[in-house]
Amino acid sequence: MNEKKALRSMKRKKFVTNSIVHVLLSILAVIWVFPIFWVVLTSFRAEKGSYVSSFFPKSYTLDNYKSLFTNTSVLNFPKMFTNTLIIAIFSCLISTFFVLSVSYCMSRLRFKMRKKYMNMAMILGLFPSFMSMVAVYYILKSIGLSEGAMIRVALVLVYSGAAGLQFYIAKGFFDTIPKALDEAAYIDGCTKWQVFSKVTIPLSKPIIVYTVLTSFMGPWVDFIFAKVICRANADYYTVAIGLWRMLEREYIDKWYTCFAAGAVCISIPIAILFIFMQRFYTDGLSGAVKG
Amino acid sequence: MKKKFLALSMATVMCFSLAGCGSSNEKAGGASSSDKASSASSASSSSSSAASTEEEEITCKMLVWSPSEDQSKDYDEWLQTQCEAFNAEHPNWNITFEYGVCAEGDAAKLITQDPDAAADVFMMSNDQLTNLLPINAVARIGGDTEKEVKENNSETMVSSLTVDGALYGIPFTSNTWFMYYDKSVFSEDDIKNLDTMLEKGVVSFPLTNSWYLASFYAGNGCTFFGDGYDASKGIDFSGQKASDVTEYLIDLKDNKNFKIDVDGSGIAGIRDGSIKAMFSGSWDYAEVKKALGDNMGVAQLPKYTLNGEEKQMYSFAGSKAMAVSSKTEYPQVAVALARYLASESAQKSHYDIRNIIPCNTKLLENEVFQSDELVQAQNNTVANTSIIQPFITEMGNYWTPTDNFGKSLRNNEITHDNAADMTEKWNKDMNTSAVN
Repeated sequence: MNEKKALRSMKRKKFVTNSIVHVLLSILAVIWVFPIFWVVLTSFRAEKGSYVSSFFPKSYTLDNYKSLFTNTSVLNFPKMFTNTLIIAIFSCLISTFFVLSVSYCMSRLRFKMRKKYMNMAMILGLFPSFMSMVAVYYILKSIGLSEGAMIRVALVLVYSGAAGLQFYIAKGFFDTIPKALDEAAYIDGCTKWQVFSKVTIPLSKPIIVYTVLTSFMGPWVDFIFAKVICRANADYYTVAIGLWRMLEREYIDKWYTCFAAGAVCISIPIAILFIFMQRFYTDGLSGAVKG
Repeated sequence: MKKKFLALSMATVMCFSLAGCGSSNEKAGGASSSDKASSASSASSSSSSAASTEEEEITCKMLVWSPSEDQSKDYDEWLQTQCEAFNAEHPNWNITFEYGVCAEGDAAKLITQDPDAAADVFMMSNDQLTNLLPINAVARIGGDTEKEVKENNSETMVSSLTVDGALYGIPFTSNTWFMYYDKSVFSEDDIKNLDTMLEKGVVSFPLTNSWYLASFYAGNGCTFFGDGYDASKGIDFSGQKASDVTEYLIDLKDNKNFKIDVDGSGIAGIRDGSIKAMFSGSWDYAEVKKALGDNMGVAQLPKYTLNGEEKQMYSFAGSKAMAVSSKTEYPQVAVALARYLASESAQKSHYDIRNIIPCNTKLLENEVFQSDELVQAQNNTVANTSIIQPFITEMGNYWTPTDNFGKSLRNNEITHDNAADMTEKWNKDMNTSAVN
């Protein structure tokens, strides 16, 4: 009898704590998803203007997306989108290669300045990158990259240039790969490059996914450098500048809902890349070393 | 210990090297800019008079900045058309045009970043001079061009671009705000007084925006830098004359027929009919027209009743102008181009294509403009119910404290009890530089 009671009260206790936890979690989830949900709703809103009196749109439409991609004479969103995509692809390739190579060197090779270099990278990394934007602009200008089509090159350089300093996470990951694997490969006659490309890289898919994603996202979310470098050259604007301009006084009333549509569109390439890369997350080290 | 010392020394070295970079850049830029500026301005004043008589052969590139609408196909590529016409008018000049996008209000931001890369000819709103003059980025307009500008523009337009007797741009439109209202709700007599309007329908006003808020205070004797140019006089929002207005605004905000216009709620209210009158500028004309149709009325600012006396509201008026960079290699070409882009015919086509209200007085006598309600409203506002928006450097301290004051009003932080104190504190903030 007593036992039954105790069991029941335990059950009840468990139920109560579980309910509290679930309520708390759902509140947090709502808070977190709300802004995103709202942007998506706004992108389908049929009423114009930036001010609304109700949370849910009164009527829905696809026109915002249509005009975003067809009404290109004042704010050319497709062009900005292509610019950003090109820049993102190139800076993603370059900086992924850089980050992995540097991490590999820092993790596996021993040389004189190694520790000092790592300290230096750490300290440099502590400074906000936009601190150097004026200097970066003048350097790019002095080598002739601040005008015309070279702006794209300049932006690729800016976004991938700091890659050599961002090796800490990848290096930490490489450190966890057993050295025994490398040694076995050396005994079989591998060169350092072959060890890197044939042993280390296939074993570090999760960190490659992480590096690719972060470096691909950089150009989509950066505003400061794009603004400083593009200045008045509207043909080379990236989406960040374009979206910002849609919210300026002279455009906001007409472009507000298109802005939301644009924000949704930006998430598409990043989401595609993520879904494609996601399956590599699970792989990694499984079954590399036995015993 | 050794490691720490090394890290620290590296950090300091880096800091110094970076700091060194910054200042040397600035110095170099600053020095060369002032040199070139003086030479460019002297050249421009002498050459613009020469241009009309005999032109030497010049082949050059001209970089022109304008808002993107002026270059867009939707608006018949106004800028490109005008520039080509200019080229055709000067057979001895062989000009290749390049275009960049820069809205009138962003000119200073882009140019201060790198004055050497500024466009030869750009459009600016007159308040941009605040930041452009200290770095000598704008060339002075002299000679025939100056004479022409003074002949063809109202005194307000000319003085909005004049600093210490020197003219720095060629105006092509005025820039201010006025009142849109619903004719079916308010009669011609109603719109003369804000308080009468509030009895008949809902009025919305951007109380939290410093560009608008000053209008009430300016109506009751508060002044900006004396007549707008004397920095030593400061902004005078002190004492009874200002606190009375604050008291009025507290009541206004609590009026059930009054709504604060914020984040576009005004135009949204006009659309759904919940708001019958709002205050804005020509940029909202098309949308208001679409919402109200034939019932749309546009008018200069009303008066308001303060302690039984009628006071006139005064908006800030400014101008938008064609300006010439002091760094341009061919000042005579650049000045002539700026003059052409702000000429009578260019203003006319700017109006036809983009509804940009002209400011050329000869052009405004034209019947088309005499019968256009928007043009009339804007020009009446500039002539009767506006003060020139001051653009001396000290004006920079006005905006943020005033925005905050408007927000405090909205949030009921300012009440009848503390109105006088809060107004006094605000007055002090406006006259203190945030930087020093």
